[in-house]
Order: sequence, then structure tokens, then C-alpha cells
Amino acid sequence: MKLNHSQKKKVSLFIPCTVDLVLPAIGESTAALVRHLGCTPVYHREQTCCGLMAFNSGFRQQARRLARHFIEVFENDEVIVSPSGSCVAMVKQRYPELFEDQPDWQRRALALAPRVFELSQFIVDHLGIRDLGGACNAKVAFHESCSTLNALGIGPQPKALISAVRGASLVYFKGADVCCGFGGTFSNAFPDISTALVTQKVNAYIESQADLLVMCDPGCLLNIQGFLHRRHPERRALHLAEFLAESIREESKT
Amino acid sequence: MKDSSINSREEILTRLKAAARAPVGPRPVLPPAREYALDAAQMQKLFVEQLKAQGGVAHSVSDSAALRAKLAEICRQEGISRAMAATDEVVETLDLKAWGAAAGVEIFLASDFPERNAYTQAVFDQVQAGITGADFAVAESGTLVLVHNSRQPRLISLAPLIHFAVVPVQRIVPTYEVALEKIFSAGSYPSQVSLITGPSMTADIQATPFRGMHGPQKLVVVIVETW
Amino acid sequence: MKLTTRQFKQTARAELNDARTQKFLQILPQRLSALRQAAYQSFTDADATHRFGHAIREEVIQRLPELLEDFEKNALANGAQIFWARDSAAANHYIASLAKAKGARYVTKGKSMVTEELGLNEALALEGIEAWETDLGEFIAQLLGKPPFHIVGPAINIAVEQIRDIFLQKGVLREPTLDPVALGKAARQFLRSKFRDLQMGITGVNMAVAATGTVINVENEGNIRLNKSSPRTLVCVMSLEKVVPTLTDALHMLRVLCRSATGQKAGAYLSFDSGPRRPGEIDGPEELHIVILDNGRSAMYADPHTREALRCIRCGACLNTCPVYGQVGGYPYGWAYSGPMGQVLTPALQGLTDTGDLVRACTLCHRCKIICPAGIDHPSLLLYYRHQDVQKNPRLGGRGAALGEWLGHTLFSLAGTRYGYWRLFTKLARLAANRQRRGDWIHGISAYTQGWFQSRDLPALPEKSFHERWEESKKAEDKR
Repeated sequence: MKLNHSQKKKVSLFIPCTVDLVLPAIGESTAALVRHLGCTPVYHREQTCCGLMAFNSGFRQQARRLARHFIEVFENDEVIVSPSGSCVAMVKQRYPELFEDQPDWQRRALALAPRVFELSQFIVDHLGIRDLGGACNAKVAFHESCSTLNALGIGPQPKALISAVRGASLVYFKGADVCCGFGGTFSNAFPDISTALVTQKVNAYIESQADLLVMCDPGCLLNIQGFLHRRHPERRALHLAEFLAESIREESKT
Repeated sequence: MKDSSINSREEILTRLKAAARAPVGPRPVLPPAREYALDAAQMQKLFVEQLKAQGGVAHSVSDSAALRAKLAEICRQEGISRAMAATDEVVETLDLKAWGAAAGVEIFLASDFPERNAYTQAVFDQVQAGITGADFAVAESGTLVLVHNSRQPRLISLAPLIHFAVVPVQRIVPTYEVALEKIFSAGSYPSQVSLITGPSMTADIQATPFRGMHGPQKLVVVIVETW
Repeated sequence: MKLTTRQFKQTARAELNDARTQKFLQILPQRLSALRQAAYQSFTDADATHRFGHAIREEVIQRLPELLEDFEKNALANGAQIFWARDSAAANHYIASLAKAKGARYVTKGKSMVTEELGLNEALALEGIEAWETDLGEFIAQLLGKPPFHIVGPAINIAVEQIRDIFLQKGVLREPTLDPVALGKAARQFLRSKFRDLQMGITGVNMAVAATGTVINVENEGNIRLNKSSPRTLVCVMSLEKVVPTLTDALHMLRVLCRSATGQKAGAYLSFDSGPRRPGEIDGPEELHIVILDNGRSAMYADPHTREALRCIRCGACLNTCPVYGQVGGYPYGWAYSGPMGQVLTPALQGLTDTGDLVRACTLCHRCKIICPAGIDHPSLLLYYRHQDVQKNPRLGGRGAALGEWLGHTLFSLAGTRYGYWRLFTKLARLAANRQRRGDWIHGISAYTQGWFQSRDLPALPEKSFHERWEESKKAEDKR
């Protein structure tokens, strides 16, 4: 399963600002998985924010500033991996739009795009690995983050990785592919609609009888976890990277 | 009013043409519709299935004698005593006035009315059914194609509560394209072509299905095997 | 139609608390989506069919002026009369004058979103001409003075009791009943009295074929066919993007339109009109007038971003798949077009000043883009509108940037360009947020974030960021 040393490659970690500041465990799990795969994680300390929030709010000038910084930091890397579907979609799909009037930057953005991967996409599609090992006796519900599933077209990859964990079983979850109501600033600007959506999501999770709710995007996680803490503190939601890294740790203990 | 239109036309087209536009690339490949692979019997079967799925009724009869008998039977069941008929190629050959006299159904033709208002009153209020042929029957969706002209008035298949359509079996075609290419290949186009798939339907109140909202409540298609 | 989009949030809140709305939203969109999905299985290759439809609409928007000229030429050859309307006032004036010239005391109408956009009923009323909606749902919505709840079921959420009451009040119904079928029958009888002796009928247009000058309508009730068959004068109003190159293209788009709208392979009635009735025909219009409406579209066309919204064929598939529509229904969108369809069309046609919330009422989930049979990239367009709103686009207007928000994004982005600034920023952010912490969680920060905290907590920001942890572990490693 591990890559042998001749293949050992450097993987540049693209850590979203939410992960850096609020959910650092996701970043550490990502780094651990990269090591587990026999690759060497590289972290550019100069990285900041990809500009997603400014872009989605209509502040393109500010987003461009951050995007230029991102490109400068990452453009010499061969493989860039992030535990966030929405940040990856921003870099791969929105940067070219953002620089539609700046051909030089657009060219650099387009050159960078194919080297940026969402974590599960990197493992399954790029490395061709579907089984990371690991053990976890749990029924797992998987929330399909919109940016991951609909913008990047990544659906089977994370589920394959979950299914390969010994003892873990994916359970059906009604509306798994419907938005959790996060939408970045949407959750703050339209709290009534956002709350209705996250309520629907969480109710379906609870009805599914699953032990855990796993997802690929820190944004969805902040939303769902924050709602669970308020209303159903006994319930757990976590990021795919954390789930996989925990499962691997668990297996190595036994 | 004319000036306003002419000025607006120039203004609109000029603005549209002034915009930077991208060239149109080639269309992607589209595999042919499944229905082209069907033989006559399969097409007929599909037509009937699709028609039924949309709430239509289909009967199949051997020839025009059997057709007359079938029509008489249905009119008895439905209590139809007055009907308006088209005079299209199909229906004209049936001599429906004579048939009606025997079957106890008074048959009206559009030509029985001296002018439009009287015809409209009759087709809206006095007849219980409309009887038409069909130019084509499309297998892909169970759809009748009616070309409207002086022999195929529009309201006969629309205003009465029951619409009988007589379809010679060889008029069943796989797709809309086959039918419409024939209809539109002539030099001038018909004023109206109707594609009819099932009875008039709505579910606008509480999503409760209701047939016969404005048009026919029942669509009865009789396929004639030998024509 | 009056634009009430400015009240998006208030209307949305009311609809979230409306049991009847919620009941229908639990059923209708999912059911229509499932029917659509099933109906697409009949295609040899559903994906290829989807893409082919995109290519047709792409060609339409790129060749729009030439296609309109072809359409006009061929429609005139068929004997139709063409009126080009710059805006709603011109279109309404033309139609009202025509009705007066024909001595019509009232007109009937087939369901059409474009005449809702025109506010035609109100304009005709000012001229003393009654306009009767004849689609059952539109008829009910009209009597109640409500905008359409859903493009396919404009009044599907209205309680039978309310329908009974309004029908009794307006003389549609004589004996009270709560049976939907009986109510439908009463409407049939009432509207028949309008159709029977009709001077003028008005419909929209689903497609206009450039190569043949033919206008096509899709429906299930038969009211549009009655509108096109019964009157002496027929007016078909088409927004200019309705044109398609050929009859074959129209048939392709009809297949995807019907499946996308209601999950049917074909609506009960598809009618193709090429000119008025011919000599010797006893019914059908003596005159066919086709109104080609701009109303802001040629300006929308000039901008290659907003041009994309002209691909829309009004099927409603995006409504049925949209999570936001699925919670709030059609009313908050506040105009003729609701759901993602409305979110891309309304700002382009009405400007951004009143639609700033509309273009933000989206989680960017991309489901509309995936389902759209016309190939619209709604998320990209909504992001464009947000940017134009912040920028105050010269044509579309906009609210501009709120000072606090502008300052926040600007400082954030400046901090994000330098290592030192960013480390300082993260420390300050942590300090500020954690001042409100209670244990490991934060339950509220400031008035600006109260939306988030309405239903959610936020984990307290950890003592050390990922960055700090990484640097420490690196140092420890180096020591070893």
C-alpha cells in the first residue's frame, strides 16, 4: 500500500485558513496521511488564504491579491493537496475566472490548476490507492460536500476510502448529496434558510442510525459540528482526514 | 406603432450585432434515438404503451368495418349521441354520417355550419365527442400529430370532452422528426400542427390530478391494422 | 408585475414558518426531480442529449441577431405580423391598442412568464380590458393576486378552502365544495364562457423556429390551444432569446424541456403555429401577431457574462433541485421567475439595486448548473453579480460595498500577502474570538455574526494554529 522509496514524493500541503486557525487537527491528520502513504509533506509557512471568502462575497480585487500570493507560494510545487473541496475548487476553477482580465496571471493560474488535488482525489485518483488500512468499528454516514461532489466531481473516492477501513460500514443517509446550508457567508447572512438546511441534514444523519458523520470540507464541518454542539452534543461529525488518520492510529495500537 | 416597431427593431438588432461574439463550434455527437431500431410491431407496441402512460386509451381493430363497430360500442358505453367529425383523409373515407345514422349518433361536420360562430357554439356545447384521423402517430412518446387545415379544424380534437382519433397502422412513425420533416417539407407550412399526448390534464389544485381541464377528458385512439 | 425581491429575507422567513408551503416543498420538488431522472432514461445517451441541448442554446446566444432576422423573415412569409418591442411599455401599449382596435372587451391568456414580466394584465386593466388567465394555477393565482409559487404549479400550495372562497366570491363557483376536481370543473365551465366567443387570445412562446417562422407552445391543459384556436386575433409574446435555429433543434429542446419540467416525454399538447389560419379554415386566428420583446435583453447580451442567462428555456428543473428553493418556495424571489432561474434572470433584467440579497441567497452548491438543460453556469453568474453589486456596475447598478465589509476584506487580503502580517492577524483574530469563549466553545461574538450563532456554536480557536504546531514540531525534529 505504501509507496516505495524510489517513488517517494514531496506533497505540498495546502492548509485552508479555517483549518489553520480553527480546526488544526484536520491539517495534522492530512500531514499524517501523506506520511502514511510514504510521501513527504511539505508546508510552506508563507501560505495564508486562497481568497475564497472575498471572491464569494464579490470582493474580487481583494481576492486577486490573495490569489496572486497563493500562486507565488505554490506554483513551483508538483503536487499540492488540500483537505478542503471548496478551497481546491476555488484555485482550480475560480482563479482563471478571477484573472480573466489579467492574461499573465490567468496563465499562471491555469498552469497551477492541474497540480492541485483534494485529499481523497489525491489518494484515490493520483496515487491509485483505495485502501489505507485502518480500523474503526462504526457505522459511518458520509455527507457529500457540494464543492467536492458538484464542482470537482469527486464522489466515489472518499467513500471508497471509508469503506476500506476495517470494521467501518457506510450507511445510507437521506439527502446525503443535498447542501448542509453552510455556503460561507450565506450561513450568517441567511440564518433562517441555513438553519433549516442544517437541521434537515442533521435530522437525516440521526435517523440513519450512523455513529459518525464524515465529510471532506472544513466549511461543512464547522456548520454541522457547530449545530450538533448546540442541539445534539452527543453526536459526532468529523473530517475525512481525521477519520482516516484516527482509524490508522487505532489499527496500529492493536 | 409601426414606426415604434421599426425603430426598436433597428435598435435591438444593432445592439445585438455590436456585441463581441464567440464563433459557434461543431455540435457534439448525438447517437440516434433508440426508436429508429424498432420494427413496425415494436413501434406500435411502444406507441400504445406511451399513450397509456399519459392517460390515453388505445384500441386496435382489424379493418374499417371493425372500426365502425368499435366506435359504435364506445359511443353506447359513453352515452354519446352527438359528435363532430373532421373530414381529413382518414375520417372522410368512413362515411360517418351514414354510420352515425345506424349507430344512433348524430354526426356534424364543420361544413354543416353556415359560419364560424355557429360552428364554435356547436363544437363547444352541442357535441359530446370529436372524431378525427391523425397524420402521424409517434411511437417515442405515444403522440398523435394532427395537421390543421380546412379538413382538420382545430377545435374538433380540443373542445369536446372525448376525442376519438383513428390511426391507420402505417401512420405510426418512430420519432417526431420523421413526422415533422414530411409535414414541413412542402413549400408552404400548415397554419397549425398539434402534437397530442393524452387527454387534457392538470394537477394545479393541491397536486390532485384532474383530466379534462380545458380539452378532452378522454383520448381514445383506435389503430386500424388494415387500411 | 411588481418587484418584491427586496423583501427576500422577510418573505423567506414567513414561508419557512408556513406549514402549507413546507408541506408542498417536502413533496413537489423531489417528485418532479425523480420524474425527470426517470424520463431521461429513455434517451439512447442521456449525457450526450444533455450536452447536445447545451450546444443548441450556445448557438442560439452566439447567433442571436441572425436567427431573429431569419425568424422574422419566415414568420412574415407565413403571414404573421411582427412587432418588435423595446420594453414592457411598448409591448403592453401595442397589445392594448390591438385589443381596442378589435373591439375586445376582454382577452384570455395562456400561461406565460413573459407576460408576467410585462405586467400585461395590469396594463390592460388600465385600458379597461379584462385579462383572464386560463391556466388553472395561474387563474387561481390571478384571482388571489399572488405571484407564481412554482413555474409548473403556480398555485399548488394554495389551500382548497381559499380556492373555494375566491371562486364563490368571483362567481366561478355556485355551490361550495372542497373537492379539487369539482373546483377544476367549475373553472373549466367559467373559462369556457370566455373562450367560446373570443376576440383576442394571448400566449407566450416556448420556442420560435428561425428556419420556418414557427412559434411553439407546450402545455398540459389545452388552454393554450384554445387561446390559439378560438379567437379572431392571436398575440404570441416571445422574449427574443426563445428563437432556435431549426425545427430539429426545436424538437430536441422540446424533449429535454418536457422531461425537465414535469418528467413527461411530451406535454399533452405541443402546438406549432406558422402564420394565421389559411383561407377555408373555419377556426384559428385571422391575424397572428408575434411580439418580439427585448425589455433589457439586448443590453444583457452585450455583456458576455449576463448573456449566458439568455440560454434559459424556463423548464424549472433548477427550482426542483435547489436546496434554497426547497426551503422557501417561489414567493421570496419576488418576480415572474423564481429559483436559480430567477436568480440569474431577475438581476440582469431589473438591476442589482433591489436584488442584492437575491444573488447572495445561494450556497453555491452547483446542483442547478449540473441539471440545467440549457448549460447555464448559475454559480459563476451569481458570483459575477455579487462582484458587480459591490462594484456598482454602470448598467446594473448595485448597492456598493458596505464600508465595514470592504474594510474587513481589504485588511484581511493585505494581511494575507505577507507572512508577518498574517501571523499577527491570526493571533489577533484568536484573541478577539476567544474573549467570548466559554470552555471549548464560543456561543456568540458580535452583532455582525449573530446569523451564524442563531443555531450554531463555534469551537474556541485552539491555543496554537496549525502553523504554530508545525513550526514547533519542525524545531523539535531539527533538535533530534
